[in-house]
Amino acid sequence: MEEFLSFVTIDVWEIIFTWINLLILFLLMKKILFKPVKAILDKREKDVGSLYSDAEKASAEADRLRSEYSEKLSSAKEEADEIVRSATRKAQLTEEEILRDAHGKADRIIERAEENIELEKQNAINEVKSEISDMAVTLASAIIKKEVSEDEHREMIDNFIDSVDNGKEQAEGRKKS
Amino acid sequence: MNVSGPKIYYTIPILGGIPITETIVNMWILMAVIVGICLFLTRGLKERPVKKRQVVAELIVSKLYGLVEDTMGERNTGYAPFIGTLMTISAVGSLSSLVGMRPITADLSVTLAWGLVIFLIVQTVSIKTTGILAYLKSFFQPVALLFPLNIISTISTPVSMAFRHFGNIASGLVISKLVYSALASLSAAVLSFIPNDFISSIPIFQVGIPAVLSIYFDLFSSGLQAYIFCMLSMVYIANANEP
Repeated sequence: MEEFLSFVTIDVWEIIFTWINLLILFLLMKKILFKPVKAILDKREKDVGSLYSDAEKASAEADRLRSEYSEKLSSAKEEADEIVRSATRKAQLTEEEILRDAHGKADRIIERAEENIELEKQNAINEVKSEISDMAVTLASAIIKKEVSEDEHREMIDNFIDSVDNGKEQAEGRKKS
Repeated sequence: MNVSGPKIYYTIPILGGIPITETIVNMWILMAVIVGICLFLTRGLKERPVKKRQVVAELIVSKLYGLVEDTMGERNTGYAPFIGTLMTISAVGSLSSLVGMRPITADLSVTLAWGLVIFLIVQTVSIKTTGILAYLKSFFQPVALLFPLNIISTISTPVSMAFRHFGNIASGLVISKLVYSALASLSAAVLSFIPNDFISSIPIFQVGIPAVLSIYFDLFSSGLQAYIFCMLSMVYIANANEP
């Protein structure tokens, strides 16, 4: 014969069993489910928090570095510009100096060359003069077959050459006549 | 048709007979199932979840803590495991009717036991928070004349909780039984023209139609009553230790 409790009834033993069961289930669920999962959730939350703060720190550091670098970069650019500018200026100065030196040297060389030429010319003229005078003395003594005092002739011829020098046309004209 | 209370499987012959009822046995089965599910969900917990079941477990726990914190305030999150246990056993106990078990919450002793636990917690917390004198004095507030009413309202709290939960689930049980037997009668009447006794005895209308009712009485009502019961518990406890 199956026995039943009545439909609406309060059974003390059932209440006690329910309490014990609830306590057991509570302890088991707390130990198995709630505690470990909550611990993991809390730990993750903490980790995420620290991750975020780390990321913020890193980003701030990156910002700082970036501004520092851009500052450095701009100053470096300025410096480079300055260097280039000064180098250019120096180069220009050097160029001018070199040119000036070169001009001066060239001028001096030309001057000396002109002096030399003048000197050579004078020498040549003097040589020709003396040769002509010698020749003239020989010619004249041959022509007039007369002993002439060599000193007188030489003086005469020198005067002649001088007049040739002074007035070539006169001399040429005299030669023709 | 007979609507009865829980079956008594065995009576331990001590202390005037301790009945082991269907309710208690079902409760043990459900506890085993719940613990099994918890064990399964929390196997191999890692800080970086690699398994779906850990995500489910975390979702359940975090939602529970969120609910408790929202309802009871941050100071009372320590009650979350207890509230979670209560909600689980209540919901599972009612939902067990889906697999043909007698719901444990259709037994007044069970819901009353839970109600008494809440009652004890609330009174203890109240005494701890305000002190014994202030606690006793609160029964004579605002005027001493209201002492009986205060006593009644205090005592009625667990009683109303217990009866609400019990009534909802038990009435669902009764209505389900009524509908089933009514549908059986209807099937018998409709099929009576078939001269075969076996065929005419198949309760064809019991297929499908009760499922619609079951959605309300088993699924919706089970969840709702568990939620209400725990909500009330949280509110009472939170009120008791309001700073």
